[in-house]
Amino acid sequence: MVVRYCRARLGRVSGQYHIADDVAQEVCIAVLSALPRYRDMGRPFASFVFGIASHKVADALRSSVRSAVPTQDLPDGPDDGPGPEETVVRYIEVEHARRLLARLPDNQRELLLLRVVSGLSAEETGNVLGMSPGAVRVAQHRALARLRQMAELESA
Amino acid sequence: MTPEEETEALLDALGRGQVPDPADPAVRLLAALLDDVDQRRPQRSQRRSSVSMTPST
Repeated sequence: MVVRYCRARLGRVSGQYHIADDVAQEVCIAVLSALPRYRDMGRPFASFVFGIASHKVADALRSSVRSAVPTQDLPDGPDDGPGPEETVVRYIEVEHARRLLARLPDNQRELLLLRVVSGLSAEETGNVLGMSPGAVRVAQHRALARLRQMAELESA
Repeated sequence: MTPEEETEALLDALGRGQVPDPADPAVRLLAALLDDVDQRRPQRSQRRSSVSMTPST
């Protein structure tokens, strides 16, 4: 869940998710470090984790450090991955999704990513964002409607 | 079912890796993002692009 969230928020750099995966690892280390101070206040544990993840992603976006891109060794056999055409089609579609999501207000984008990519419930998402479950349901409806409207306008 | 409840059901389905309405452009975009962050090939039955292959002669 944390890896998916970081990948969705940070995207690829040079076609790789290595920066997002590094941040996900930092989140896990930060969660482990914070565990001794964690007190069960009746809120879902996921809200504690994604509260930390949200800050780590924000730090990464602010610093925008672009380190060297690790590359895999040359494959010694046939590549079972998607072919060039499928790769390009997929890339275009995902970049389209990222571009439209980036045009949503921060709160709506965060809400959709937590609900869909991280798979949190409305209650858990509300705990992360400091909203009631009812407010989350109203806001997610508006966010999805806005995303749908932007997608339809671009395809018209 | 109210529109908010429909959205709730739709987002829950997406969170489970399902595509409840492939005709919905917002659903398609979110499903594509999910496929990408999981680095998996699209396994859904909807048509993903309008690209067609024509043999060259």
